[in-house]
Amino acid sequence: MAPASFETSRLNHARHVKYWRRNLKTLLPQYYTSNDSNRMLLALFTVSALDILGDLDAALSAEERQDHIDWVYSCQVPEGGFRPWPGSDFGKLRNQENKKWDPAHIPGTFFALLTLVVLRDDLQKVKRREILEWLVKMQRPEGSFGETLGSDGFVHGGHDSRFGYMATAIRWILRGNLEGSCEGVPDIDVDQFVTCVRAAECYDGGISEAPFSEAHGGFTCCAIAALAFLDRLPLSPSQKPDRVIRGVSDVPKTLHWLVSRQTLTLDEDDGLDTYNDETDSSETCHDAHTFVKMGAYQSVQGNSNSKGRPHIHYELEWVGMNGRCNKVADTCYAYWSCVPLQLLGRLDIVDRQPIRKWLLDKTQHMVGGFGKVTGDPPDLYHSFLGLLVIAMFGEPGLEGVDPALCITNKAKKHLESLSWRRRLTGMDDAQDEGITLAAERMHIQA
Amino acid sequence: MPKFYHDDEAWADIAPLPQDDGGLHPLAAISYSDEYSEAMGYLRAVMAKNEYSDRVLGLTEHIISMNPAHYTVWLYRANTISEIGRPLQDEIAWLNPTALKHMKNYQIWHHRHTIIDALGSADGEAEFISSMLEKDSKNYHVWSYRQWLVKRFDLFDKPEELEWTHSMIESDVRNNSAWNHRYYIVVGGREGKLSVELAKQEIGYTQAAIRKAPQNQSPWNYILGILRAAELPKSTLKDFTCEFADVQRPEEVYSSHALDILADIYAEEENSKENAAKALELLATKYDPIRANYWNYRKGLLDQPNIAA
Repeated sequence: MAPASFETSRLNHARHVKYWRRNLKTLLPQYYTSNDSNRMLLALFTVSALDILGDLDAALSAEERQDHIDWVYSCQVPEGGFRPWPGSDFGKLRNQENKKWDPAHIPGTFFALLTLVVLRDDLQKVKRREILEWLVKMQRPEGSFGETLGSDGFVHGGHDSRFGYMATAIRWILRGNLEGSCEGVPDIDVDQFVTCVRAAECYDGGISEAPFSEAHGGFTCCAIAALAFLDRLPLSPSQKPDRVIRGVSDVPKTLHWLVSRQTLTLDEDDGLDTYNDETDSSETCHDAHTFVKMGAYQSVQGNSNSKGRPHIHYELEWVGMNGRCNKVADTCYAYWSCVPLQLLGRLDIVDRQPIRKWLLDKTQHMVGGFGKVTGDPPDLYHSFLGLLVIAMFGEPGLEGVDPALCITNKAKKHLESLSWRRRLTGMDDAQDEGITLAAERMHIQA
Repeated sequence: MPKFYHDDEAWADIAPLPQDDGGLHPLAAISYSDEYSEAMGYLRAVMAKNEYSDRVLGLTEHIISMNPAHYTVWLYRANTISEIGRPLQDEIAWLNPTALKHMKNYQIWHHRHTIIDALGSADGEAEFISSMLEKDSKNYHVWSYRQWLVKRFDLFDKPEELEWTHSMIESDVRNNSAWNHRYYIVVGGREGKLSVELAKQEIGYTQAAIRKAPQNQSPWNYILGILRAAELPKSTLKDFTCEFADVQRPEEVYSSHALDILADIYAEEENSKENAAKALELLATKYDPIRANYWNYRKGLLDQPNIAA
């Protein structure tokens, strides 16, 4: 790797701030309409990106911050839990008969809670008890979670690990990793959830949508993050074995799958989907790098491709990441693949430098933000996940992050410092609590 | 042509319910078109009354064309279909072109499951899937849906299913979704267990595909999956991997995946640690340098007793 080109890879901090401030302060373009029902996700990305960039306090007046917090609370449904947008709200017309069209929503609740945390709200107005009771009903007998609850108790939505990830995060936010009944609210079935994740492990070590589906970066990340929220990742060899069911079941195989997501196929022009070719050549197979001698398996086409000898035109300077075997690199998969590696304690088995370089040189956009693949215009989704990866790699000028929660370490500390949560998770010992209570009393008297 | 409702006689009895965006500073507010804002206003108004009618079908279709991720509009539509007794075949006929327009949407597939499940017939579904895969041969939703169909209508042992999968692999040997589907039929349909005889057949099939494209990871992963399901050791593949990689002839390597498996096979043998290390070194330095950190990590594991990577 030439040092000169390394210096050209730079996070354009000012442009990213500008991009995210524009998303905060002005209306999103009309083509986001197809994401109208995901507005709470876009909301979290916007405030959390500015928090990562260290700009959130400067971007918001106290009044604006409070208005944003109030907006999030306006999406809390009366029964507890959040809708992910105002679009399904009937206002004064909402009643027992039509509330089924305006249900609490697992992603809506997950992103709303995190947005409140990033805005440094104390979550005191969150119907925490109701959410935890609802969460139990959102789990199906085989262990998976869904998106919304029907009036007949039917759990709607996919059975994959996305909803399990968000449900277990909601549980972690509201009650830490306590297992079992908490203040009279029963717990989700953690063992059954872990069983469900294990059933979706694929033969190649990745995790898929459902048993025997294809391994996929997004589902792998969601599953492993959920196991982390539940404290059910495999124990390290130095830890004393217990009889608790854990996942993933074969860590070496999963690590192998995760590192296999690194690819030199950075855009469609790199021509990975080669139809009807009979033989790999240095041109048809870009993960083949420097090699592939054609001797034994030569075809007419392979021969003309390689002109009889392998040639080296692969650049190791930029390494992308894909979400499935034999797919093109995509900014968001740097997130979906690196986060599980970090959670499994093995981010060191990928070389972060060329991945960082790929993101900064190829998918970072000149107006700020990141696109999906080389040359794409930025969108909120890829811009946020790209930034999160760069932050997770320790980029100077960015706040440290908890990538599984999608927030800064500072925001996470704020959540962990909230008095109701400290009491619940036993972070306060009796003495501390006594002091806090005494201080509160004194405050009231004063 | 945008469609509006305020000047439509058929909607004159409905007072649209505008969106309350919760104060002065909403987050992620979108510059809605007038068409979308208005249609959503009418949707909220009829949803609030639980109206089920033909015009509701049209309205849900209109909303779905602009925001297919609206999760309750799909449920509302499904309810409407059953309340007004719309023939399910008509719904599928509408759904086919809609699915082609929104290939990466989750809700649409959920809806299709509901309708086909109620219909109790998979007639025409294979053709529909083919038209989807022509546009995107690796579309995750389509392959998941195919798996659901196989299970719902018990097609595991229908020879056509395996033949179709074979044709998908033939047309693109790097289509990992097709390889995964093969595993679903062969192993998944047998609850994860595999006879040695069937395993041999699959190993032969996969070896032929690897000889076509030795640097294609999909069949290598598949063949290892077959071995595991049949409880055969990796060393079953030793001779085959040596066709593509021989640590004694480091210039003659045709597949990094063969070297990878060979490293595992050597690591499990007595007195072959050196060869395992050599294979991993070749990967790190020459044949797969983008994963050098990983290969070096694997090499480090060789020195630890009783840990097979």
